[in-house]
Amino acid sequence: MPIQITGTMLLQGIVSGLLAGGLYAMVALGMALIFGVMRVINIAHGTLLMLGAYTTFWLFSLYGINPFLSLLISFPLIFLVGILLQRFFVYRVVGAPELSSLLLTFGISTFISNMAMVAWTADYRSVEFLTGSFLLGQIALSKPRLVTFGFALAITWLAFLFLNLTKTGKAIRATSQQRDLAQVCGINVRRIDLITFGLAAGLAGAGGSLISVMFSVFPEMGQLYVFKSFLVIVLGGAGNYPGAFFGGLILGLAEGLASLFLSAQLSEVIAYILLVIILLVRPTGLFRGRV
Amino acid sequence: MKWLAWVVAAGVLIGLAIMPFFVSNYIVTFAIQIFMWIALAESWNLISGFTGYVSFGHVAFFGTGAYTTAILVSQAGWHWFPASMMGSITAAALALIIGYPCLRLKGPYFAIAMLGLNEVLRALVSYFENFTGGGNGITLTPIQSIQPLYYAMGGVALAVVFLTYCIITSRFGLRLISIREDELAAEAMGINTAALKLYAFLLSAAFPGIVGGFFAWYSSHIEPIGTFPLLTTITMIIMCLFGGKGTVLGPVLGASLLSIFQEMVWARFLFIHQAIFGALIVAVVLLMPKGMLGVLQERYRLPRTI
Repeated sequence: MPIQITGTMLLQGIVSGLLAGGLYAMVALGMALIFGVMRVINIAHGTLLMLGAYTTFWLFSLYGINPFLSLLISFPLIFLVGILLQRFFVYRVVGAPELSSLLLTFGISTFISNMAMVAWTADYRSVEFLTGSFLLGQIALSKPRLVTFGFALAITWLAFLFLNLTKTGKAIRATSQQRDLAQVCGINVRRIDLITFGLAAGLAGAGGSLISVMFSVFPEMGQLYVFKSFLVIVLGGAGNYPGAFFGGLILGLAEGLASLFLSAQLSEVIAYILLVIILLVRPTGLFRGRV
Repeated sequence: MKWLAWVVAAGVLIGLAIMPFFVSNYIVTFAIQIFMWIALAESWNLISGFTGYVSFGHVAFFGTGAYTTAILVSQAGWHWFPASMMGSITAAALALIIGYPCLRLKGPYFAIAMLGLNEVLRALVSYFENFTGGGNGITLTPIQSIQPLYYAMGGVALAVVFLTYCIITSRFGLRLISIREDELAAEAMGINTAALKLYAFLLSAAFPGIVGGFFAWYSSHIEPIGTFPLLTTITMIIMCLFGGKGTVLGPVLGASLLSIFQEMVWARFLFIHQAIFGALIVAVVLLMPKGMLGVLQERYRLPRTI
């Protein structure tokens, strides 16, 4: 059963892992923002991602709009969905015990997925836009993965610029460091919650748009990313946003390498054991806490 | 007043005990389902209602029990009843292994660790095909008569409800509640919180193990996706929450009412029944987080031990 693992295969694993990691980083950054600012684990994050993917799918198949161009529509659209969810539901469980927010976001997620299934059926759909791969020496770089990686990096970079340079971005980071103090300093934390949720939803939606170019689109497609995103948050440390970015890359890398040595099913087990060990040994994440 | 409650309880039990002789099989099957949900919701209540540690993957123990039983029955030729007991022991053993490290995690981290455990078990069950039949699952011979199962499931439901009553009236129960209210303060008062949480966790895992075993025998076919659904965990939680978590009869009330609601309403809206359930979850969380009994206790000064 054991196959000889050559240097090329190793390199290939590292490259595909990192490419996937860029996307994890972007999706997880959204969930990390919500968790950092409101201490809410957004189980509906995967559903928002699914909505973004369907936006791209429909724009592509009905109007032939370039999937990457549709990011300009899916990001603001899902941003708006996020704002509405926060404004009408999630704000009520901010500060409540975790059971309330877990259940609430799960309920929202179930509702939206079911509605998506009724409206668009449970069929697997795909956006066939970019296919094939570049050959770089002996390493194959799939074109859609490479291009999506580029877009994911760019969007994540923009998000960091927003967080670091704008007044609102700084207010978001301040709220996630010390909610009460931020409020005392005159930051309207309710408004920050709203913007954070919207931004996070937008990132998930954009992630969905990018994922739709590579994988099938169906109502339950986002579930997978909820647990992974949480793992990324733990790797990076709660409230440590650059940490979440590197956590995403590390998770992708670990999966890319694990797929060489183990079956895909067992790599999930490894990821779980990793999660528990990190939570017990380094609850502040792998990196020293610079928030 | 107290003796009246006992008389009513005894009356209800006798009524339930003789019920299968007078009603159709449909009702008996339905009653088995209600008993199952009562046992599951009440087990979840034992860890999460009392200590406040949210087990977001409690179906893992149900699934462990189901698979243990199915393997013992199909491959070792055991009778279903001892096999289910074995399922309960396996589930408790798993709870010991997982609970020892994970109960140190606080708040949302524990919840997610439990959610992950469930996903991992599903992956493992699919992977070890020789034992578990992989994605195809295990098929058992269909059961001939459901009466024995009615009494078995009813017995387990009664046992876990009675156990919860014993716990809530004991020092053990008070200590668990003190963990929920303020773990640091409880520890400072000399309560061995680590051990107590683990005991509660073991108890709350053992019962879903048995119930899972009965379920495997009753449905005569199990496979990974249907045995470890997150939806089952959420259903237990919502039933418990709807009735009132941290009470004895809350989960009983919630499980019965929601099962009846499910049978009457959801079954008619096949395509959107998940959406209805989603809306119900949102409604329960936002409108009545204390549950029916919690509200009644506040308003009418009902005893804490119901």
